[in-house]
Amino acid sequence: MRFVDEFRDGALGRKVAAQILGVVEPGRHYKVMEVCGGHTHSIYRYGVDDLLPENVELVHGPGCPVCVIPMGRVDDGIAIAREPGVIFTCFGDMLRVPGSAGTLLDAKAQGADVRMVYSPLDALRIARAEPDREVVFFAIGFETTAPSTALTLMRARAEGLRNFSCMCNHVTIVPPLRALLDSPDLRLDGFIGPGHVSTVVGARPFEFIPADYGRPVVIAGFEPLDILQAIHMILAQLAADRCEVENQYTRVVPYDGNPAALRAMAEVFELRPHFEWRGLGFISQSALRLADAYADLDAERRFAVPGVRVADPKACQCGEVLKGVIKPWECKVFGTACTPEHAIGTCMVSPEGACAAYYNYGRFVTSSGGPSL
Amino acid sequence: MSACDPHGHCITCGDVGVEMRVVRLDDDLAVCEAADGDVRTVEVALVDGVCEGDRLLVHADVALVRL
Repeated sequence: MRFVDEFRDGALGRKVAAQILGVVEPGRHYKVMEVCGGHTHSIYRYGVDDLLPENVELVHGPGCPVCVIPMGRVDDGIAIAREPGVIFTCFGDMLRVPGSAGTLLDAKAQGADVRMVYSPLDALRIARAEPDREVVFFAIGFETTAPSTALTLMRARAEGLRNFSCMCNHVTIVPPLRALLDSPDLRLDGFIGPGHVSTVVGARPFEFIPADYGRPVVIAGFEPLDILQAIHMILAQLAADRCEVENQYTRVVPYDGNPAALRAMAEVFELRPHFEWRGLGFISQSALRLADAYADLDAERRFAVPGVRVADPKACQCGEVLKGVIKPWECKVFGTACTPEHAIGTCMVSPEGACAAYYNYGRFVTSSGGPSL
Repeated sequence: MSACDPHGHCITCGDVGVEMRVVRLDDDLAVCEAADGDVRTVEVALVDGVCEGDRLLVHADVALVRL
């Protein structure tokens, strides 16, 4: 397939790997963070890290929206789902994310009408078909998904649908990156920037990283050659003492993003003053809620929700994984008490989560260097 | 795996865009087909001047960019 086969060519991959070897400085250890869960998934699916020199370490970032959702928000969703007459809709990945007393799937098993949808537009179709029921969409995701929710709410408003509402959990990518860069726990040399988020926001929002923190950013696609080339571009910047935002994914990402999508988001959403991120704590202006003009479609204003902050299970170290402080296999419960089938932490729930990516593709080693399972 | 799509990806993460070809247009909606034969009705209001035959990057049934 065009734009796929070319970017999975093993011979070309080895050629780019040789170019990477040519720009690394012997004796220097490089830490490059891939921001996106999609990148993490591709890296371990295709074994990209196997082609890198030993002194180039990939650190997994907080770019999996399922992984960063705190337990209290899951509890709020379950409370709405249990309201009489409610049809609660969400993406499939959210169904198994644990709250303090179970998952949305558990709530479904106990009688709540919880349905998986592929898009918010599917939820809107359910609302049209079930005019006597309240249909709630649990919105989650970064700026790639937020335009879809915005257009759905605009359509609901235009159609005068009164039985549809949205529990908004959309988050934005820049504030957590700034939080990571401000964290004393982590020293990073550069970032592989989020590919499809950038189709919406463009490359400009990342310019603060080289400007304020002196770190290069390369926006990358999701095929193995995309990621290898982006790593080469980051290391080449470092070797040349350059520091800027570059776009490896020019076949998809315009430097200025999608202005129509940004306008739709600006009409429907406003920034929350604070939002809790699993592992990162509360981050100012890092998430979206419905603007006052769309308040009547806001499920959190239509239904009573507990709104209680819930601490993560003590055994779970998703926070350190999300900050890149530890590798997934260094978590005490990785692969034992916490597996994709029985996840304790969110990073094991979503296939884009770092723990699930490691577990599913078996690409993890112990501190002694051998396979751990 | 808990993914929504048959390829084991997580739909929630916006980085699972799907390349689709426009088969038929209907105002701001378009019937689009993916390489694996999957057919979806896609919102195309965010991409100017979409025509039949265009290749789009689609996420959660919304076209984000023309390829």
